[in-house]
Amino acid sequence: MTVIEYEGKTINVDADGYLESIDDWDDTVASALAEQEGLGPVTFDQLDILMFMRQYYQKHRFFPIVHAVCKNVHQPDDCVSDEFMDPVTAWKIAGLPKPDDEVIAYLKR
Amino acid sequence: MADTAAEQHEEEVLTDQDIVTGAKEPKPKAGDVKAPELTGRIEIPKLEEGVMGWSKPHAAKPDTMEEMGFPPGLVDNWEEVAVKKLGELLEKYKSLQVYMDICVRCGSCTDKCQFFLGSRDPRNMPVARADLLRKVYKRYFTTEGKLFGKLAGAAKFDLALLGEWYSYFHQCSQCRRCSVFCPYGIDTAEISMAAREIMDQIGIGQKYVNTIIVKLHEIGNNLGMNPKALKATLESTEEDIEEEDGVPVKLPVDKVGAEVLLVTPSADFFASPHVESLIGYAKVFHQAGTDWTLSSTASEAGNFGMFIGNYDHMQRAAMRIRKAIEELKPKRLIVGECGHAWRIAYSFWNTIIGPLDGSVGLKLEYPRPQHICEFTKDLLDRGAIKLDKSANDEFVPTFHDSCNVARASRMGDLPGGQFEIPRALIKAACNRYVEMEEETIREKTFCCGGGGGLLSDEILDVRVQGAMPRMQAYQNVKESHGVNFLGLICAICKAQFTKVVPKYGVPMIEVGGVHQLIGRAIELGAKE
Repeated sequence: MTVIEYEGKTINVDADGYLESIDDWDDTVASALAEQEGLGPVTFDQLDILMFMRQYYQKHRFFPIVHAVCKNVHQPDDCVSDEFMDPVTAWKIAGLPKPDDEVIAYLKR
Repeated sequence: MADTAAEQHEEEVLTDQDIVTGAKEPKPKAGDVKAPELTGRIEIPKLEEGVMGWSKPHAAKPDTMEEMGFPPGLVDNWEEVAVKKLGELLEKYKSLQVYMDICVRCGSCTDKCQFFLGSRDPRNMPVARADLLRKVYKRYFTTEGKLFGKLAGAAKFDLALLGEWYSYFHQCSQCRRCSVFCPYGIDTAEISMAAREIMDQIGIGQKYVNTIIVKLHEIGNNLGMNPKALKATLESTEEDIEEEDGVPVKLPVDKVGAEVLLVTPSADFFASPHVESLIGYAKVFHQAGTDWTLSSTASEAGNFGMFIGNYDHMQRAAMRIRKAIEELKPKRLIVGECGHAWRIAYSFWNTIIGPLDGSVGLKLEYPRPQHICEFTKDLLDRGAIKLDKSANDEFVPTFHDSCNVARASRMGDLPGGQFEIPRALIKAACNRYVEMEEETIREKTFCCGGGGGLLSDEILDVRVQGAMPRMQAYQNVKESHGVNFLGLICAICKAQFTKVVPKYGVPMIEVGGVHQLIGRAIELGAKE
């Protein structure tokens, strides 16, 4: 386990940088995780994407189709890759647990 | 601080397993090795022996190994166990015995492997790879090897050699290009499968492949997509199609009594560009008026059991499909765009889960199984579906033959159908079509660089290198004819190219499925 300090907050992540507990997530945590991925503090558009992914995960325990994410948050078709480079990075910043290897193989750019 | 950490690192005792798998070795960050330069033609590189020896996949975790029935880690008496297993394999597969004995060192295979051409490492020459196993065979199974050792090309199976196995048998995509050029037809894929089977049996497995096999047994697909998530994804895709085309094209799942059961790689359900091909299949079924269904339990055509040469796991994974046939009672069985899956479907299903005939309710007048390309081609030939080529006018496509389809299967009822049918589909869906260099297509096709269980990030460098010949051939037609679409019929090829083409300066949107083109061009709605 690794600890990230961000704006006075202590955040626990696993060896691969995924948030230890999905319930510890809020927009500050998202910004901390985004910084670990070399991205700036999260924007409102990004937050919309992250929240949708979290809701989808809580319902289906799986990745949404990227296209469906953008449609649901009313953003352009390439929103996930434009905002986060790839869906796996978005997933990570959304505080969700590390996906399976095959999901990473197919989605990580 | 840094000094102490370094000292601690030095003091750390390496286990034999660490030595073999290189788990504690410092290595370049995946993807840091530069893509080979494209020089304009595919040529024999300047050699750098052993330069890729550092590349080793992550080792499977102990619990994964145990779930698969393998030892959790490298066993103490591994040499003995490995030799015993090799003996069994030689007994069971006479082909393996022949491949061990018959090589005459003619050199024909040496420059035929994409991993050699891309890495410059002569240890990636097919003969050198096969020799890693052949040395052991000679030492323990031949009189001259026992008596004369190294002089007879034999070697003791020690940790260093096992370490080379772990590196270089994971730089082979089992594509069988070398065997096309071997005058004796030595099949390096079979040798590489045997080597991986032996490694699993002594407790050294590859994490990516083994984890996925366990996932497939548990959930029914490689992605670990549960039935509920699958259904949600399919519904969302149905909505997309209707919004886009105004036609209610359905993606039925678990429909008992449907005429056709479609088994497709799970990547088709949600990865990009894979899902575009799924939409293509659905539109074809819709327009042909075919009653079809997917299965939520047999939601995977892929079967990584083949990559590790383990027929028990291959059969267990395939059994889900037989169960789905028994439950859903289809009359026809069709397989989506997937290379190794089609090899298994075409060459193995009838023996490992078969016979696929009237005894399971399948109609005898259709191929069992049938490839989706064959199905669509037949509809086109009969005029049952119509394509509007102008829908694809932005594309100048070419076609990449997937190795397992090209060299390990057939399609349709004519020789070479596996080459001609997908090409015919692209030509029916597009006004333009350009072929890549003759030496890189059909049975001489190069692997995408990600097949055979190599589609894992920690060995990205191997994948980028292995893609070099295909990238070179593509780049050439891109420059000469403005080609901007690489047509594919394999889930692994799609994922691999999407990831590696940017390393060669090609945009990833230039990669897609054959049924993606069909889906764009098909005329939906009432027939005239």
